[in-house]
Amino acid sequence: MGKVLYYTLVDLARNRSVVAFTALILAVAEGLFLVEADPVKALLSLVQVMLALVPLVSLILTVVHTYDTHEFTQLLAVQPIGRRAILGGRIGAMALALLVALLFGLGLPLTVHAPGSTSMVLLVAVVLLAWVHAALGTLIALVHRDKARGVGVALVAWAGFVLLYDALLMALLFAFSDRPIEPLVLPIAALNPIDLARIAIMIRVDLAAMMGYSGAVYQQMLGSGPGTAVALGLMIAWIAWPTLMAFRVFRRKDL
Amino acid sequence: MLTGQAVARVHLLRAGNGSLAAVIARAEDRDTIVVAGAVREGPITIDRSLCLLGLPGAEIDGGGVGDVLVITAPDVTVQGFTFRGARFSNLYDNAAVKVNGSERPVIRANRFIGCFFAIYLSDVRGAVVEGNSVEGLPDEKDRMGNGIHLWKCGRATIRRNLVRDHRDGIYFEFVTDSRIEDNLTQGNVRYGLHFMFSHRDSYERNVFVDNGAGVAVMFSHHIGMRRNRFLHNRGGSAYGLLLKEINDGEITDNTFTDNTTGLMVDGCNRIKAEGNTFRTNGWALRLFANATACTFSGNSFQGNTFDVTTNGDLKLNTIEANYWDRHIGYDLDRDGHGDVPHRPVGFFALLVERVPYAIVFSRSLFVALLDRAERVLPSLSPADLKDDRPLMRPPHG
Repeated sequence: MGKVLYYTLVDLARNRSVVAFTALILAVAEGLFLVEADPVKALLSLVQVMLALVPLVSLILTVVHTYDTHEFTQLLAVQPIGRRAILGGRIGAMALALLVALLFGLGLPLTVHAPGSTSMVLLVAVVLLAWVHAALGTLIALVHRDKARGVGVALVAWAGFVLLYDALLMALLFAFSDRPIEPLVLPIAALNPIDLARIAIMIRVDLAAMMGYSGAVYQQMLGSGPGTAVALGLMIAWIAWPTLMAFRVFRRKDL
Repeated sequence: MLTGQAVARVHLLRAGNGSLAAVIARAEDRDTIVVAGAVREGPITIDRSLCLLGLPGAEIDGGGVGDVLVITAPDVTVQGFTFRGARFSNLYDNAAVKVNGSERPVIRANRFIGCFFAIYLSDVRGAVVEGNSVEGLPDEKDRMGNGIHLWKCGRATIRRNLVRDHRDGIYFEFVTDSRIEDNLTQGNVRYGLHFMFSHRDSYERNVFVDNGAGVAVMFSHHIGMRRNRFLHNRGGSAYGLLLKEINDGEITDNTFTDNTTGLMVDGCNRIKAEGNTFRTNGWALRLFANATACTFSGNSFQGNTFDVTTNGDLKLNTIEANYWDRHIGYDLDRDGHGDVPHRPVGFFALLVERVPYAIVFSRSLFVALLDRAERVLPSLSPADLKDDRPLMRPPHG
């Protein structure tokens, strides 16, 4: 597994997509901080951009990379290496590459321009989101044999997480606005990893508003120690299930 | 005749060496009494015009009987003491220094520790309260009275005091023509500063931090509020500054930071708010539709969750030439004002007004898109609520 991980990393570095990803994130973050004189506003814009951009790029990157290295995978599979080791090495390499890319591309500007706990939460949330979407991307690419179809599914999944889920939830909120559904809104929102990451950050930046009549409940639920543990647990679950599914699919897959 | 023009005498009282009440009884108008050490004596009444000076470490402890010092004569000065032991009560407003129906008292550079009410002026003209430190009991805040309490007074000056951990920090009821300057009120259970039926007053350069409900100005007219700072007043019904039924107020160059609601305007007429800065509040400005002829210009809104919310139309008010960090526009003629109007009430603000727990969607991409759409093609927000000449830069740089 170590060897597979190593060679996948070398391959990722060589095909420059991860470098390009790093450069993109760095350019966006640095640009926002330079253009926007007010660091508070820059950080808020950055949150919004990163929460949409990082999942999208992580998904597409993983999906495309999985398809592009299909022959390499076939080659590995005929060697005396277990399939678990092959996939483990590949997923591990992708996770590592994304981590480095984000630490450099996002972590650096954040520590320079807006050091603080909110920035830390943003960085951790974004790294977890990248891993969630790398796992999902791997799964999608393994399930669908056709590349175009795989990329399409990935795009739909991204749109679902970032837009449709909120739209549906909001429609639900209005439909049932005269019923006592407020205790359900936060848990349902938190089932979506992007929403979960957003809420974890928002609870800090919009703290003043959160202390208002309705927000105080959310603040108590997520701002506390157990709340943070539950949020982290949910994120890990979102990384775990696609990864486990991917292993299952890959074990039986006819390459 | 010469004896009638008695020269003011100085009496020295060392603690444990006779009672303060006895010294006061011996003294005449314009005398000075100097106190050294800790005096422990029940309610003491000052019924002649004396100057009471405490040497460093001087203390007057009322012993929890009732009031500590009651002043009924004009021109009394109390300076340099530490006060304790005004009795907690549900029936009487016991205070460390109580002034009843008097003129020109000066209460300066004292310290009040755990007093039910610290300074209580009723029916007093021309009082000066300055440089005092009023400290309630942080663990028993809910039982505390007000720190500095004025009832039916005129021409008072409240200056450079610190008030913390009381019910209301500074309380004004029926107080006219007075000034409140350079005070700090912090961590009070209810309001840092509370005005009721008090007219032609001004407060400037004060700092209000972490008070239960911020600052409330109610049922008053001609109040000037300048260069104050309202910080971190948080909670469901907490306001940086709450204005209720205020006419002809002037709110200039104040800073509102990290409050749940920065400025709340309810039922006010002819309020002029200029040059204020609203930063990272939950709701920067809540303007109720019952406001008329209010003007908001030259203010700066930065990093707030919601800039403006309202519950109706704001036809009769003017919001013009403010800086909005949410404004997306251009300034082709380079006059410093954006060429397209800015609509400060977003879709999301309206949504949260109707469904409060929709706050979960704050900063979501979907909401941002709807917000943008609403600003371009307003369908839900009040048509007249817009800034036609938004500033391109914050007025204070």
